[in-house]
Amino acid sequence: MTILNPRFPISRRTLLRGAGAGVGLPWLEAMMPRRADAAKTQPVSPVRIAAMYMPNGVREDMWTPEGTGRDFQLSPTLQPLEDLKSEILVLTNLWNQASKGGEGHYVKISGFLTCTTITKTLGVDVSCNGVSMDQMAAQSSGKQTPLASLELGITPVSTGVDKNVGYTRVYGSHIAWSGPTSPLAREINPRLVFERLFRATGPQGDSARRDAQLLDSVMEDAKQLRQSLGAADRQRMEEYLSVVRSLEQRLERSSQPRENPWKAKASIDASAKPEGIPKDYAEHVRLMLDMIALGFQTDTTRVATFMFANEVSNQNFSFVPGVSGSHHSLSHHEKDADKLRQYQLINRWHIEQYAYLMRKLRAMKEGETNVLDSSMVLIGAGIRDGNKHDPHNMPLVLGGRAGGRIDAGQHLIYTPDSPLSNLYVSMLDAFGTPVERFADSTGRLPGVLA
Amino acid sequence: MGGFQAAPLLAANSVVELPVKWSRVLARVRDSEMPPKGAPALPAKEREQFVAWVDTALHQAACADGIAPGRAPLRRLNRGEYGSTVRDLLNIHINAGHGLPAEGAGGEGFDNAAETLFLSPIHAEKYLEAAKLALEYAFSDTRSRARFLTDPNATLSPEEAARKTLDAFLPKAFRRPARPGDMDKYMALFQTAMKRGDSYEQAMQYALQGVLMSPHFLFRLESPNPNPPPRLLDDYALASRLSYFLWGSMPDQTLFDLASKGTLHETETLIAQVPRMLKDAHAHEFADRFVDQWLNIRELGRDIKPDRQLFPTYYDAEIQSAMRYEPILFFQEIMAENLSLMNLIDSKFTILTNRLARHYDLKIAADQKISQQPKRIELPENSHRGGLLGMAAVLAVSSLPTRTSPVLRGKWILESVLGTPPPPPPPSVPLLKEHDAQMPQTLRERLELHRQNAVCAGCHNKIDPLGFGLENYDVLGRWRTEDAGKPIDSKGELPDGTIFNGPQELKGVLLARKDLLFRNLTGKLLGYALGRGLTLEEYCTVDRIMEKLKQNDYASHVLIREIVLSIPFRYQTGTAQNMSVRDYHQ
Repeated sequence: MTILNPRFPISRRTLLRGAGAGVGLPWLEAMMPRRADAAKTQPVSPVRIAAMYMPNGVREDMWTPEGTGRDFQLSPTLQPLEDLKSEILVLTNLWNQASKGGEGHYVKISGFLTCTTITKTLGVDVSCNGVSMDQMAAQSSGKQTPLASLELGITPVSTGVDKNVGYTRVYGSHIAWSGPTSPLAREINPRLVFERLFRATGPQGDSARRDAQLLDSVMEDAKQLRQSLGAADRQRMEEYLSVVRSLEQRLERSSQPRENPWKAKASIDASAKPEGIPKDYAEHVRLMLDMIALGFQTDTTRVATFMFANEVSNQNFSFVPGVSGSHHSLSHHEKDADKLRQYQLINRWHIEQYAYLMRKLRAMKEGETNVLDSSMVLIGAGIRDGNKHDPHNMPLVLGGRAGGRIDAGQHLIYTPDSPLSNLYVSMLDAFGTPVERFADSTGRLPGVLA
Repeated sequence: MGGFQAAPLLAANSVVELPVKWSRVLARVRDSEMPPKGAPALPAKEREQFVAWVDTALHQAACADGIAPGRAPLRRLNRGEYGSTVRDLLNIHINAGHGLPAEGAGGEGFDNAAETLFLSPIHAEKYLEAAKLALEYAFSDTRSRARFLTDPNATLSPEEAARKTLDAFLPKAFRRPARPGDMDKYMALFQTAMKRGDSYEQAMQYALQGVLMSPHFLFRLESPNPNPPPRLLDDYALASRLSYFLWGSMPDQTLFDLASKGTLHETETLIAQVPRMLKDAHAHEFADRFVDQWLNIRELGRDIKPDRQLFPTYYDAEIQSAMRYEPILFFQEIMAENLSLMNLIDSKFTILTNRLARHYDLKIAADQKISQQPKRIELPENSHRGGLLGMAAVLAVSSLPTRTSPVLRGKWILESVLGTPPPPPPPSVPLLKEHDAQMPQTLRERLELHRQNAVCAGCHNKIDPLGFGLENYDVLGRWRTEDAGKPIDSKGELPDGTIFNGPQELKGVLLARKDLLFRNLTGKLLGYALGRGLTLEEYCTVDRIMEKLKQNDYASHVLIREIVLSIPFRYQTGTAQNMSVRDYHQ
């Protein structure tokens, strides 16, 4: 079996040489500033990123595929991806060093996309000490789409503070952080998400200009107020100013003709509005995934994160045939055969939903290609075995080709404890926002980029 | 990180000089993070003694010297407060905060804690949208409209009418008298809209939308204290602290009037306001938000849902709402009627609908006229109800979806009721031993086996017996005497040798520990009232309130009154850290 060694990352030059000029070009193009005359050439579909978070880890002996490289057989848990096998990368032996230690859950989830260690606190000085990978992407693509990113979930933020481990439950409910002290609020009602997408893309012009003017006056107010506040409070007012400013800028942009030469191939159909939060968990999940697909297809946003549940979720999975219990309890399987069996069925159910989203994106045609082809859809958990709370060899699958930049269709096995952050460096490259370093990264993750 | 230096802590007076450092040591030892791996392990008993010793020493040092009010960080209205405030400001009957994202919790465990009220880009969008929606609704409703809008007429120009409207509206929206410049800002918005060709109404709506987006409306602003020592809060800020504590919304006219007279902060005024506010219908929001989070019942129906196949009864809107509101309205009743807080442990009444009474299998005397509406009902003899522990919502939220869990219920009592949460299980220890043929079948036997493991026993000897005391209640809180054909065994023995049998005797156990319970409740309430975590010194305030409670037979109004009169609630800190206030009202 081939073991790829991340300590000698492939340099960009090698990569280009290896890939051959023809294939390498789109990737280069994405790194170049968009020019006004770009509209004359045929613009390619934009790259999108989605990250999906599964709480409570996976059953380890049923996760990893047999074989390596292009020659691999899907594991029982990954079986639902059979028809998407050529579209995915299964990544084995990555770990998130920063989420080692601390306690079993909060540290793992909040650091999933940041690769940093959160500050232990019941509330004062909450910090993830980094920025999440999706938000690094959103900071560049957000100027080209009505919404910079979508943060979606199923359950509202867990309330209370976990005094017995010393963390606020805020940590267990967020994977997207736009800054160290800014966990991004999630939307859980599909109807509200739909309305938000619709509003953001709807006819703007005059009404957008009015709103922008109003926000101008609000910002004046906040700026004046800021002067009179102490240092810590000034920081809070600064936060308010910055969220108002970003909306104001978006409204300004939308009241002018779009600079972006690429036109989405679909628009939002107002009659397709979902009803609200369905009673059924599975249906709720599907509706939220539909919203991600809709956001991508209509180019309302290019970045999305989704949490199946908050960490330590005790979601009841009795609706899955063969399961009669709740998630967190079953993840503490204590090697009990029956619990393990049910645990795996729950993991598999999550992969089915992942497959659902990817199929949906694949069915969305974009000229010669489809939305999945230009996307990166990551699914993973912050720990491997739910019984062990260990961030070694995290369960991770990356789907989609990012417009040909991802060399999909492989099972990549790395040397144990290769940094997860290297994957994010590669993904950000493929997204067209290359970074020198991301958290504890040591370079690009070999084998990922085409 | 910085290396940890133990030497300064060894000085004789270091607990007084270095309280923050010692608190950190305390937390790390308590959470088994110290001594570090590799160093000789600390036996559980010694760990407990050490923690208790440091805790007491710190506490005594902190309380010896008056109380310094903690810093009150700037905070915005949370989702619930936003909805209620817009509703009261515009006299409308819709919840404009409905579309805002839910908030997590910090401090003492509530979603009004300043430190965890973050702002995301989505908030700006939602505030803009919510203000538009609320105003459209208010303008279309004649009754509401008349309350805040002055229309122009033959003798009143649109300009003058706008001025008059804003003159009345701004102080209410900003919860303080208008300041120079306030008027001009919103008149400018009005004029911009008029110039654009808007009608008077449209232009007013535009200006008021600006008011509802203003940080003066969205944030709870208290003018900073520029001097070193703490000072009394100004009366308008105090009015807001009171109203957001007891009503979850803006002050009413009475509070505004008292603030404008400058008498609100006076002890007699505050003593008179507390009962008035607790009897007001707005106090429902206090009960709702506080109890919902204190008892963790907010998670019922969210992350914690009884299994649909096994417990179809739960899947009925009427029973869900009756279950959810029982503890909330029960708390509201205790607060409104100045009843003893001992009712929380055991009571002769509860709040029932006919559906919930049927669920509990209670025969309610006909003269009590039980109906679909929740209402205070005196309980029959031997009802197995009375107090929080007999309530379905509490029993369901501390169960697994498919069965009851003595461990979860015991943990719930320790955490929510007594305020002494057990530490998490050490990571290397399996929760329960593997199943095999020799494994005992009943949960009690398995848990007893589990407790033979010394590492587990330390905590589970405290947790499990409490939970077993509630085994007579099923997942939905219905009374049962057997489970799967086997009789229920609800005996428990605590580490100190206390033996009890069944929920009624368990209540006796809690009564004997009422100091813990009320200390927990008082700390939670003070944290909720302040919207932040308490400082070490503020726990001294909790102790003082406890004394008052004991002297006054645990009357609910005494608890609220003492919180309102306390230094952390009435004062604001100055530029000097930790300067104490000594002129406490007693």
